Amino acid sequence: MAYKKPSQKFSGKIREVTVGSGLKLGGESVLPFYKFDGDTGAKPAVGMEIWDVFPESWPQSLKDIFGEYADDPVKWAKFCMEKYNPDFICIRFEGANPEGEDRSPEECARTAERLAGEVPVPLMIAGCDSDEKNAKIFVKIAEALPDKNYVFLSAVEANYKEVGAACGMAYGNIVSAESSVDLNLAKQLNILITQLGVKPEKMVMNPGCAAVGYGFEYVITTMDRIKLAALDQNDATLQMPIVSPVSFETWKVKESAASEEDMPEWGSQEERGIAMEIATAAGVLAAGSNAVILRHPKSVEIIRNFIDELL
Amino acid sequence: MARFISIGERIHVISPVIRKALQERDPKPIVERAREQVEAGANYLDVNIGPADRDGEELMPWVVKLLQQEFPNTPLCLDTANTKALEAGIKVYDRKAGKPIINSADAGSRIGMIDLAAEYDAMVIGLCAKEGIPRDNDERIQYCTEILDRAMAAGLDPENILFDPLFVVVKGMQDKQQEVLEALRQITEMGFKTTGGLSNVSNGCPKELRGLIEATFCAMAIQCGLTSAIVNPLNRMLMDIIKTADVIKGRNLYCDSYLEL
Repeated sequence: MAYKKPSQKFSGKIREVTVGSGLKLGGESVLPFYKFDGDTGAKPAVGMEIWDVFPESWPQSLKDIFGEYADDPVKWAKFCMEKYNPDFICIRFEGANPEGEDRSPEECARTAERLAGEVPVPLMIAGCDSDEKNAKIFVKIAEALPDKNYVFLSAVEANYKEVGAACGMAYGNIVSAESSVDLNLAKQLNILITQLGVKPEKMVMNPGCAAVGYGFEYVITTMDRIKLAALDQNDATLQMPIVSPVSFETWKVKESAASEEDMPEWGSQEERGIAMEIATAAGVLAAGSNAVILRHPKSVEIIRNFIDELL
Repeated sequence: MARFISIGERIHVISPVIRKALQERDPKPIVERAREQVEAGANYLDVNIGPADRDGEELMPWVVKLLQQEFPNTPLCLDTANTKALEAGIKVYDRKAGKPIINSADAGSRIGMIDLAAEYDAMVIGLCAKEGIPRDNDERIQYCTEILDRAMAAGLDPENILFDPLFVVVKGMQDKQQEVLEALRQITEMGFKTTGGLSNVSNGCPKELRGLIEATFCAMAIQCGLTSAIVNPLNRMLMDIIKTADVIKGRNLYCDSYLEL
């Protein structure tokens, strides 16, 4: 009997969400990169992280690359675009942190507006460490940039009502539902946000991210199970594309942050940081991320090749 | 594993309101009954038009079109012994939401419904019976096998058959209840899908007990492998139990709001 190649068919499909005017995320009806089984949907997107303030805390190697431009997010974003051509730019409003510069929502909105006017790719808008403050800045930014389909990272359990109502409903942008590596809560939060009235096509999700070695296996199994529920059980509450802010996690762990003076036996700090970022990004992509956010240009290049080679 | 399928039973010619509406081609009562079932969580709607010897070929397409127009996301289970009416219904049926189910074939005079399902790529309920209620599980499995043989000959994938071991009334056939559950287990172990009419179990019992009996039997049957049932979706307890069983069986990922979906 002739060999018949088996293929795994699922009844479910990840929803295709359009970010900005044309960046498509999701749409796959097979496990990540399983192109031999069927439609892998849109190619996973690779974005670059910038800040609204100068990134003092970043390792010197990154400041060597971006430092010249990083005093102004527009200059910074343009540099990234010209040099590395990411699929999107993620602007993180670190300056809004009440513990730091405590910039006002209005000021953040002006920055976002300026950026939107100058950057040709879609934006993802990330906040600071305060959920309460993020709700305030997201509302203002969404209001300043209505119907842009920009992604707001993130709505969490503590602020999903404000963020969902403003970003996802009133001002026509996209809400990212973020939970901290808890499968049941990931589903619950998606349901709560849709029950508010946010349309599923205006949602993505971040079911939690971590650097490799920092509870990463929980991240991977959570993502695996989400994708299986979405595809195999056709669970519509989990069919949102996943956006993973990889760089938010990997650059703060000691493997990336410890200097060569402190840890001479660990070798080049820059290479360590890139390695952590690449390993994490490759892991979450293989577990189903539809977009990753990265910092180092080398990581962007390698992860993009990784995606292109597999698809 | 796919979720449990609840087939709503309330569009039935035995109901005077529905009978009249079908006779007079009055859409309102039919659409109302369909809506209350869809809103209560029915995944499929059974449409029983009775034998409809006189006008089945015209009646079934009418009701199929009516329901699909109003509820495009809810597939239908076409319920009549009238082959011509079934064919006419399937011909106008829109498959976007799912294949139609033919209700039903058996191992006796209605075995030809298997051929009809094969011809039209429909699903079909395969009643493990020939004449009356099967005597025991040997008979049930025998009939199940006969239906399978027919399906193989006709080129119908057994995936498309929902085997119904024939649920029996608890008031009067109490000693047969475990046997029916055992039949479900055996058919499930053979790798097939199953269904059954829950109202059969509670038939003749006081109204206030029927919902409880059906819900309890359903929970027990699900543990034996039952993958779908013909239900009264307005029985809230039953629907909640079905949803909870899907969670416990791992067919649906738990979250605090799972009953609201």
